[in-house]
Amino acid sequence: MNFLDAKSAPAREDRLKANIAFGGTCGSIKGCIKAGCFSEKGCLNLADRRFTQTQGCQFTLSLAILNTMRNAVIIMHAPIGCGTCSTGNVGVNQTFKRLRDPQAEGMIWLSTNLDEADVISGGEGKLREAVIYADREFRPETIIVANGCVPALIGDDIDSIIADLQTQVAASIVPIHCEGFKTKIMATAYDAVYHGILKKYIKKPDRRYNVAEPDLEKLKEQYRISRNVNVLNVSSMSRQDELELQRLLNAIGLNVTFIPCYAEPEDFEYSLESSLNISICGTHDDYFLEHIKEKYDIPFLIDTIPIGRKNTDRWILKIAGHFGLEKEAQQLITLENKLLDDSLEPFRKTLSGKSAFLAGGEVRIVATAEILQDLGMRVVGFKAHHFDQFIEPMFDALNDVDDVLMGVATNQPFEQSNLLNRLKPDVLIAHTGGNNISAKHGLPILPLFGPSYNYLGYSGVYEVARRLNRVLRNYQFNKRLSQNTKLPFKKEWYEKEPFAYIKSQA
Amino acid sequence: MSKFIDRPRYACALGGALATLRAIPRAIPIIHASAGCGHNLQNAINPGAGYLGGGYCGGLALPSSNVAERDIVFGGENRLHEQIQSTLEIVDGSLYLVLTGCMVEMIGDDLEAVVSDFADSDKPVIAVHTPSFRGNSFTGYELVLSALIQKYITRQPEKKPNTVNILGIVPAQDVFWKGNLKEIKRLLEKLGLQVNTLFGEGETLEDIRNAGGASLNIVVSDVFGIEAARRFEDVHGIPYITTGFPIGVDGTYAFLLAAANALGIDKSQVETVIEEEKQLYYDYLERLADIYNDIDLQRFAVVVGDANYAPAITRFLSDELGWIPELAVITDLLDDAQKSTISKRFENYESGIQPTVRFDTDASSVKKYIAEIWPRNRNERYYDAFNPTVLVGSVFERELATAFGFPLLTVSYPVTNRVVLNRAYAGINGALSLVEDLLSILVAGR
Repeated sequence: MNFLDAKSAPAREDRLKANIAFGGTCGSIKGCIKAGCFSEKGCLNLADRRFTQTQGCQFTLSLAILNTMRNAVIIMHAPIGCGTCSTGNVGVNQTFKRLRDPQAEGMIWLSTNLDEADVISGGEGKLREAVIYADREFRPETIIVANGCVPALIGDDIDSIIADLQTQVAASIVPIHCEGFKTKIMATAYDAVYHGILKKYIKKPDRRYNVAEPDLEKLKEQYRISRNVNVLNVSSMSRQDELELQRLLNAIGLNVTFIPCYAEPEDFEYSLESSLNISICGTHDDYFLEHIKEKYDIPFLIDTIPIGRKNTDRWILKIAGHFGLEKEAQQLITLENKLLDDSLEPFRKTLSGKSAFLAGGEVRIVATAEILQDLGMRVVGFKAHHFDQFIEPMFDALNDVDDVLMGVATNQPFEQSNLLNRLKPDVLIAHTGGNNISAKHGLPILPLFGPSYNYLGYSGVYEVARRLNRVLRNYQFNKRLSQNTKLPFKKEWYEKEPFAYIKSQA
Repeated sequence: MSKFIDRPRYACALGGALATLRAIPRAIPIIHASAGCGHNLQNAINPGAGYLGGGYCGGLALPSSNVAERDIVFGGENRLHEQIQSTLEIVDGSLYLVLTGCMVEMIGDDLEAVVSDFADSDKPVIAVHTPSFRGNSFTGYELVLSALIQKYITRQPEKKPNTVNILGIVPAQDVFWKGNLKEIKRLLEKLGLQVNTLFGEGETLEDIRNAGGASLNIVVSDVFGIEAARRFEDVHGIPYITTGFPIGVDGTYAFLLAAANALGIDKSQVETVIEEEKQLYYDYLERLADIYNDIDLQRFAVVVGDANYAPAITRFLSDELGWIPELAVITDLLDDAQKSTISKRFENYESGIQPTVRFDTDASSVKKYIAEIWPRNRNERYYDAFNPTVLVGSVFERELATAFGFPLLTVSYPVTNRVVLNRAYAGINGALSLVEDLLSILVAGR
């Protein structure tokens, strides 16, 4: 894979044939993969809906990573509304940054505020002013220029403007081409961000080398690198998650660096002195890791996400396998499982037999189902934001899910509302967004991820179980809401098939 | 020509339109734009407006055509037609407004033509052009109201005497809009008026449809809602007045007097109302006579806010709470005439205090103005410091507040650090809440 000569990363509809509209079962979706339905000429390629609800774009999702970057100012090259979602992150973002560095700055962003005149004559002047201001006023290490749809449509030559500006400012300027209208697969954002990072941000550390280096020093250095790994974190995970993964990898003798979220430019430099890049989620990282392998010859591992016991076991074993540390890993896994298994017993007593519906990112929902099965719960349905090849290894950890409903929809609460109405699960585990609809079904809801609580690794299993147990104990708030507020969909909609509005564009 | 903005305190025209419709029960927006516009704006308006949430059919439930690059090769019109059709099938509303984003405006989709296909629909479908590049949230509020005034509100040649509509308090951009409207309605009703706030407690689409029968529009703002008021005047022949945003006894008195003058109500009636209100108000404030003076609760103040709140709060702090507001920064995009109107609101304080007034949209500017108004400590042995000071602003002032050690009360959008339901800062009850909130910060450690 090498797309770095291109201005921007390709859309995932094209690169991965990712899908956002499907309704069936886990069994049928596996059949569809085999039959090639998702391929370029397949019936599910570019499938969509006759009715759609707002769903996020690659600009907003790019900000989820970009906002975590330290010592950076973000310039939103767009009309005033684009990226205003950052408003909701000013507090939590600073808190999370300060978990890594107590002195860290909060978020700073400038909107180039493109208006009607700029739509006609171009936004170059405002972009220049904003970059110069950001550099002089805030003295950041990095200035990120993220562009929305309007500059892309009017044809602003952002890369040339930036190349020119780079000679006038102290910060390094990183362009991120993430205009929303380019793709309906929000996850293209990860590629858009990594495209910019790969081209303009990441570089080898500027080390001083001795003219004559003693062999022992060289060996020490090589040994150090041979035990360094990078774990690619995601903005939906917490500092506690990082500490848990770090604990597990330290236990088998590996040193861990976390990139890209909440990392400093230096962390990216040192990440190149490493022997393995480890993904926790293929949806996030494949574009970056393939390119790093090609450019810097660092191998990578994309397999499962360490959510749930079996997935965590497998994740550790795959990493250990790369280093010949299987024995150490096996010892760790046995010990951790024993301890955890006993601790889950009280929750199994209360949760066993309860049914759950899971909605969110393809990797997380299927992985979380493993925790539920571990607790003796029953999964009655999945709804994935999108669907692509990275879901396949996730099914291995589950028992008997072939007949379980699987829908693919980026948000689309109308479809989920129909499904919840039919399936009537005891609990909904869902990605944020659309809970103004879900809550009115009167059921308990657990967030599918917690940027402020532990979800990953063995300790994450316990935390998820503990929280599930708690939200199921009392959901009067949602129950009362459901009794006193109305859902916005007509009753005819609930009589229709949940996937009735899906259309194939092939 | 406009410039870049450091951390804008408003969304775009589409955002303002969505927030305005969020405040109207059973009005359903249909966004014709890229997939992310609605989501992005929801993720700003929800937390920014003290966790307003998606409500009935907002947030991620917002119908949206989600057009992408491949749709625009042939224009987005077919897709929009399909989306309006399917929204009418699925979503249970009483009025549907099609709102546009930048991209479909740039490719020139013929919005009116598509919407006219639904002229015979049971429920009205109305088109509003709201691309982000047309303006900010306040523009979106004006655009939605103008569309309703033109295409939805029933024309009533006979006006009902002493019936008024309230404009200028913008849902979500005024985070406390619902509480404020309730208080404004309460006060005007004491003058014997019928009050339609359009977005207030218990008000429905019917109230909006019937707004054409009012005999006066009261714009509670020097800048917001004036476009809509002019449109009301053109289309429905309703005159309008503009007033300052009322906080406290003085503000409320001026506000009621302006309404009374416009309607030919005798001044003595206003004075009776104010006397009654003052009795209740000072019965509460009397409680503070002790603590205010026991521990010296006077403070310097810096006020950062929009064109409604900043003048109103600053004057209230000076003339009623007895504080020393030294600096006010108004964060809206304003023209020179608007700036000059608002500047006048900071003149002739009874206290004699003359705050420095600055107009600046950039979050990073406030600290520079503080440096400008107060001499720095150049290691003098005796230094008259700018403290104790309280900062009244938005959540964007938090870092500044921390850096200077000033307590912060967030009032102006965005307010992500509070949950806001029916709290008000307008009028008499609003002033009590403001005093409660400000002084509670000061006694929190006791």
